[in-house]
Amino acid sequence: MSTLAERAVARTPNRLALRLGNLSDKAIAWLFITPSVLLLLAINIFPLLWTIQLSFTNYRANRPNAVLRYVGLDNYRDILTDPEIWHAMQATAHFVLWSIAMELVLGFGLALLINRRFRGHSFWTTIILLPMMLSPAVVGNFWTFLLQPQIGLFNNAIAVLTGVDPSSFQMIGDVRLAPWSIIMVDAWMWTPYVMLICLAGLRSIPDYIYEAAEVDRASPWRQFWSITLPMVMPFLMLAILFRAIENFKMFDMVNLLTSGGPGSTTEVASITLKREAFEKWRTGYSSALAIILFVTVFGAANIYVKALNRVKQR
Amino acid sequence: MAEVALVDVSKSFGAVDAVRNLSLSIANGEFVVLLGPTGAGKTTTLRLIAGLERPDRGNVLIQGRIVTEAVPAERDVAFVFQQYSLYPHLTVYDNLAFPLRSPARRMDEQLVRRRIHQVAELLHVEQKLGNRATALSGGEMQRVAIGRALVREPAVYLMDEPLSSLDAKLRAELRLELKRIQRELGTTILYVTHDQIEAMTMADRIGVMNEGVLIQLGTPREIYERPDNAYVASRLGAPAINLVPAELLAGGAMPPNARTVGLRTEHIRMICSADGPGPVAQVHWVEHLGDQNHVHLKIASHSLVTLADPAQQLKAGDRVSLAFDDPLYFDQAGNRVAANESGRQA
Repeated sequence: MSTLAERAVARTPNRLALRLGNLSDKAIAWLFITPSVLLLLAINIFPLLWTIQLSFTNYRANRPNAVLRYVGLDNYRDILTDPEIWHAMQATAHFVLWSIAMELVLGFGLALLINRRFRGHSFWTTIILLPMMLSPAVVGNFWTFLLQPQIGLFNNAIAVLTGVDPSSFQMIGDVRLAPWSIIMVDAWMWTPYVMLICLAGLRSIPDYIYEAAEVDRASPWRQFWSITLPMVMPFLMLAILFRAIENFKMFDMVNLLTSGGPGSTTEVASITLKREAFEKWRTGYSSALAIILFVTVFGAANIYVKALNRVKQR
Repeated sequence: MAEVALVDVSKSFGAVDAVRNLSLSIANGEFVVLLGPTGAGKTTTLRLIAGLERPDRGNVLIQGRIVTEAVPAERDVAFVFQQYSLYPHLTVYDNLAFPLRSPARRMDEQLVRRRIHQVAELLHVEQKLGNRATALSGGEMQRVAIGRALVREPAVYLMDEPLSSLDAKLRAELRLELKRIQRELGTTILYVTHDQIEAMTMADRIGVMNEGVLIQLGTPREIYERPDNAYVASRLGAPAINLVPAELLAGGAMPPNARTVGLRTEHIRMICSADGPGPVAQVHWVEHLGDQNHVHLKIASHSLVTLADPAQQLKAGDRVSLAFDDPLYFDQAGNRVAANESGRQA
């Protein structure tokens, strides 16, 4: 005799089992991942493929009814022979190289200081980390005020320190200074990030290695070069990779701060791309430019990761 | 002349007294082992000598020179850490060369190469000289770490449980190796361990430490046969010494002030019948270890562990009578008291 409860269970068909009952494990697995695969296809893969297709046409998004003509590799040829594009690439390279150089030197230096674990070091770590928690749009916006020649704090601070007239120079408006303004603001915002990665690297070096070196009569200088630097190197390279990818496609902060100006001095590749795509509406042309940028970053990152793995294996 | 001397040294970390009023002197060419449980202050003692810690009180002398305030580099010591403290991004060769290439030394590269090959041969790591430190097994890493100390010729080698992270077979091998090297080179070594076998087999003198205090210092024989107190007695011997209340075994050579009797396995003789002259015990449990048996005995409410020949057929429940040869006697405070010469038991 079975109990009432047992009979009830036996009579109620298991709904999930009923529906999935005749599906294989593999089919169930597919069922679970399909939504995310579809989403990925819709907003990543499809646009990429469409962009590749558009890059071979003369398509303009503001004239959807115009005759679509396939132009072959013409867009690519035009881009690679366009001095303006090469200028934008140079501006990008200048920005990427110098911002990373500054962030590395300052970030590593700060990490070395913080790693000494002085009193209140965690408080200072938090303070130092604040800039990178802000939105790039906010940063771009308030630095335009800070760098304002008449009322901006930056010019006045320089004036107090050096005695020059605060309105005698313009960080954003000057052709020579503008590229350095965006580098400075980027370094201000992202040095903490590099510091954090370096700090993780420094903390991963066990104390006894330094103690062994001390007993082995290695000077602090030699300890730095033969222990600290080699052991932090993989972390440094990772920081360079992250910052390079990020700054290569940097748009928001530069757009708010200088919008590529004055003239086109700070017109980095992403700003050129936006102008071509959404101001001149040369959709086919800008698609080709986007593909070129994508291949550049993707290719460079791949080569770099291989180098990084070699350093890690050492 | 003493190679290394500690004079009344104390060191505390916050509320913890790591080392208390420690005086110790190590002669040239001597192998001294500090033995004690975790937290006894052994490692702190080594670090005080190396200069990795500064004493709160007292002085450290190396080759007669006061080095209490000197940094490690000025002390002419070599340190082997418990962890494999190799420089992971360097090859074995460069790891061994690291201390020799110090600008303070300015050693000729030709000479460096010769020393490294000598040491590598001694430690059987010649085949590995080109390998990265991270590509070595645990035993090889520790041998290279020892090698990095040996390439130098310091006043004293300080070794902090260098064999503790190795497996038993390798530990036994390196133990012999280390002793052989020490004898061949005539080096001065201060060695820290909690392993009594390492202490007994390698040491010229053993220092037993507990809670920051050096309790007894002496040759392995002295420490084993004439321990100052019950604590030292319990550090050495396997199975550990049996400490039983004196009233259980009254009579014989027992001095009047003895409160505890220490019975090592060699002090206990079992007679396989219950009608011997001595006290009668019951076999509680027999552990078969192959080459020997550990016999757990019950005498009144107390347990004793002793060794028996595996051929001896003993089983739980058997009754045996016991006889004792020269046991150790300890007074109320746990200090050893000498046996009465007149009334020794046969």
